[in-house]
Amino acid sequence: VCTSRFWFNYRHVANTLSVYRSVKRLGIPDSHIVLMLADDMACNPRNPKPATVFSHKNMELNVYGDDVEVDYRSYEVTVENFLRVLTGRIPPSTPRSKRLLSDDRSNILIYMTGHGGNGFLKFQDSEEITNVELADAFEQMWQKRRYNELLFIIDTCQGASMYERFYSPNIMALASSQVGEDSLSHQPDLGIGVHLMDRYTFYVLEFLEEIHPASQTNMNDLFQVCPKSLCVSTPGHRTDLFQRDPRNVLITDFFGSVRKVEITTEALSLDRGVAGFESKFPEDELVTEPLKYAEQLPVAQIIHQKPKQKDWHPPGGFILGLWALIIMVFFKTYGVKHMKHVF
Amino acid sequence: MAAPLVLVVLAAVTVRAALYRSSLAVFIAERVEVASPLNAWKRVVEGLALLDLGVSPYSGAIFHETPLIIYLFHFLIEYAELVFMITDVLTAVALYLAIQDFNKVVFKKQKLLIELDKYAPDVAELIQTPMEMHYIPLKVALFYLLNPYTVMSCVAKSTCAINNSVIAFFILATIKGSAFLSAVFLALATYQSLYPLTLFAPALLYLLQRQFIPIKLKSKSFWLYTMQYASLYLCSLVVIICLSFFLLNSWDFIPSVYGFILSVPDLTPNIGLFWYFFAEMFEHFSLFFVCVFQINVFFYTIPLAIKLKDHPVFFMFVQLAIISIFKSYPTVGDVALYMAFLPVWSHLYRFLRNIFVLSCVLIFCSFLFPVLWHLWIYAGSANSNFYYAITLTFNIGQILLISDYFYAFLRREYYLTHGLHLTRQDGTEAMLVLK
Repeated sequence: VCTSRFWFNYRHVANTLSVYRSVKRLGIPDSHIVLMLADDMACNPRNPKPATVFSHKNMELNVYGDDVEVDYRSYEVTVENFLRVLTGRIPPSTPRSKRLLSDDRSNILIYMTGHGGNGFLKFQDSEEITNVELADAFEQMWQKRRYNELLFIIDTCQGASMYERFYSPNIMALASSQVGEDSLSHQPDLGIGVHLMDRYTFYVLEFLEEIHPASQTNMNDLFQVCPKSLCVSTPGHRTDLFQRDPRNVLITDFFGSVRKVEITTEALSLDRGVAGFESKFPEDELVTEPLKYAEQLPVAQIIHQKPKQKDWHPPGGFILGLWALIIMVFFKTYGVKHMKHVF
Repeated sequence: MAAPLVLVVLAAVTVRAALYRSSLAVFIAERVEVASPLNAWKRVVEGLALLDLGVSPYSGAIFHETPLIIYLFHFLIEYAELVFMITDVLTAVALYLAIQDFNKVVFKKQKLLIELDKYAPDVAELIQTPMEMHYIPLKVALFYLLNPYTVMSCVAKSTCAINNSVIAFFILATIKGSAFLSAVFLALATYQSLYPLTLFAPALLYLLQRQFIPIKLKSKSFWLYTMQYASLYLCSLVVIICLSFFLLNSWDFIPSVYGFILSVPDLTPNIGLFWYFFAEMFEHFSLFFVCVFQINVFFYTIPLAIKLKDHPVFFMFVQLAIISIFKSYPTVGDVALYMAFLPVWSHLYRFLRNIFVLSCVLIFCSFLFPVLWHLWIYAGSANSNFYYAITLTFNIGQILLISDYFYAFLRREYYLTHGLHLTRQDGTEAMLVLK
């Protein structure tokens, strides 16, 4: 997700497209990638090289090619759409390419870049998403079983604040800077006139260039990427919610689409397995008819409800005292002689 | 005089009943000028509903009525409209009887002063005659019942009507001369909203006058009577508060009612002066300014008592007006109460200087209130400054009205004793100036 627009935020688009390129190279297809960009760089009138987005100076690497599939472009990159993609609460008319069709065995990588602050990330210069909202969205995903494990990478100023509030299990988070620090950009390109990349993503990409689908590099190496000497800001990470030890987590678990494939030369017959499965079904389980909808609501009780009695009554002492006072005042003013008329 | 009064009452009841049945009732009930956090009807309903659910109604910040009101409406909530109409009628009848008695007192005093030759020879046109004073009580009842402010207050079912009726009964009891009843009703009025405490001074002055006790600080009978009246008042207040304790078996109502009135936490806009100031004030100044604003209400009692000690009913009128201008949550119902007294001082008309401008100001502001409210809240093209400007103008209009009447009254008194054609020492015509 790239949350910025306008020409001077070129580097955020380049960041995102570079990560997209690496992830595609490692095997994840477009149908499994949701790319959200403002997408106003390649065709920007200020771009001296139209239809390109470079991520290295001297225009070495064009990350905007023919096969970039942007799912949410321009003004569709909003907080609402982002949260809807994550939680799956999407109107039925949304095309499949715009949905995150994950289930409870999916590992999800979320990379966000843009301008941020302590506890928030700015979207398209008009709204922001807070760390609390993000944590709640992840919790919704967990409760709906939309992920198995989740890796959250953020490259913004004070990025560590965005993962402070996570509370759902199986989340690992990386950020480019701590609270109070700014993430800095890498190099400007004098031909294009803007900064092309951010430091953290630049070094992460250098790291990722050495990964191939079979590599055994683990997360601990990713945590070492971009030390303070190179990055000026201090990258941070959070692994307390993650069940496995980061040492045992492969980079390709998140960045690549690597499946465990076992090649066998034996033939397996499946019919016996299905029958065996059926016989495991216990026979002594009560077969109940499913409840009809109307029976679940106590409609009869509601219809024949008596009108609510007034539950509170003023205490007897109060009423007695009040009326005694009133009668005393009455007789004091009008004289005691009226008493015999009352009694 | 009973028949015209009955006619007026019938007309008023018809107007109110017609408005209750129309769609305006809901619109009026929501207006902030008519319903304040202290006396809105939906808060009463909310409090009673909370009580039915077993929760003390004072536990939140919604309900700020006294326990006696809870008791009253617990049984009468289905007949709420009737209750408010009857309350208005009772207020009007009480004011009618009070002003009738007051007229007799004014006559007696006038006759006495004429016989004692206290008046100057050429003031015949200033002396009130029975003919012109015959219709004043009816006019007072009319002014109260058919005042648009009262009608709106009644249709909105604001408990300000009950407050007004207690004060009206207090005035009736005072003018009839019964110190005990007057103390009891004053205690009830103070118990309901704190500010009628300032009406203690005019009531005391009137009762002293009636008992022919001279108001000298050294006089023993003066202090004796004052102590008697004060003790009656304080005892009844204490009795009422203790009785209220027994309704819910808790003292919760004291911070909810009196703490709320005094500390003004709710800053919903109304026709008063508090909300705007406190909405934009820094926290550490708010206590100081709350104290200043509240003292402002009570402050005018002593100077007015010194100046108006011979005219306690006028003092009561001015005090009522000051309460309804400077209280923390005023509504138009409070304004209607003191406006009902204006016919009593209709003989001051020739001395009023700004009456046209002021009545225009008051009428225009009353029409501009809903307009600027709509512009601020619904259209979004105005802001609170606009509404507060109209509030300020309305209050300035009221204050100028009261000071105009005050000046006219004092001027008439001066002319009565010194003659209409004032001359200076060298014989040229002099002009009376208020310094």
